[in-house]
Amino acid sequence: MKNKILLVLIAIAAPVFFSGCATDAHYVQTGDKQQIISAGKINSQDFATAANDASRNLLSMDPNPLDKVDRSPAFVVFSKIVNNTDQSVDQDLLTQKIGIALTQSGKAQIKIVDKLGEDYGNIDDFLNDKKTTRRPDFTLSGKIIQTVDRAGRTRRGTYSFQMSLNDPKNRAQVWMFEKEIVKQGTRDAVGF
Amino acid sequence: MKTPKLLSIFGFSFAAGLLVLTGCTTVNTVGNAQMEGQRTMISDQRVISDASLNRKVAIVGVNSTMTSGGLLKVQVELENHTRSLQRFLYKFEWFDANGMQVNNILSASVPEQIEGKESKFIYSIAPTPGCRDFRVKFIEAN
Repeated sequence: MKNKILLVLIAIAAPVFFSGCATDAHYVQTGDKQQIISAGKINSQDFATAANDASRNLLSMDPNPLDKVDRSPAFVVFSKIVNNTDQSVDQDLLTQKIGIALTQSGKAQIKIVDKLGEDYGNIDDFLNDKKTTRRPDFTLSGKIIQTVDRAGRTRRGTYSFQMSLNDPKNRAQVWMFEKEIVKQGTRDAVGF
Repeated sequence: MKTPKLLSIFGFSFAAGLLVLTGCTTVNTVGNAQMEGQRTMISDQRVISDASLNRKVAIVGVNSTMTSGGLLKVQVELENHTRSLQRFLYKFEWFDANGMQVNNILSASVPEQIEGKESKFIYSIAPTPGCRDFRVKFIEAN
């Protein structure tokens, strides 16, 4: 009798146990709580978090350098984001989001160039205004740095998103920002 | 008779050990008693559907200010009522003068965590100068 009950229980539990591991593909919202988290690489939501933090940090500066230009909105040239991680990163995942936030705020016009100077000759051309295009009020540059620490099977990945808004007239940084995203674990996971 | 007693002692010790090891880290805080900065607190309207999260991480208050550039900046104070670390997502939503939602990266979901008994501020800034209203959504982690 006992064995029969046990068999019935196993028969009920087995499909639940095995089917519980499988998930059918479905659409998820960006940044939802079912996001995939990898300690060893930058996930898409990390770019969104860094861009969100950078945008709100820059826009909430008070007084704001973007408001202190001769001709409003400020003209900002986005130059290359240096990628010092072991993964291939499309910098537009970061710059496009920040660019959208700045243009929608009405505080900046954006020009994204792959390499500073590609459209403008070199930085001195900015200063001497040799080009017919509008001389940028600011340039935005950045760097993504990865550091990985290990203790046994536990891996900790730290990704630093560094950005700065530079005044080409005196080449000084008028805004500097750093967002560190730290992830730790022994394996990748779904949900945070 | 002796074995069950020993087992129960072992079980209790194991449970207590787990409790200690899983970590109830709380935060001690100190600040100046006479705050010079005055927060402009605003009355808020709350819809609580996740009572569990609300019991753990409570909204203490909401204050706002307008930047000199004309953007609405909102800050929310949260407090973890538990003694353990809590993880959640929050998301600011912004609305213009006609009640239409304005979306961009500033409305993205942001993962956040708060230590036991810690008080923490989160903030965001309106995506456009035309934004007048906002709401903040909180979702508990798995």
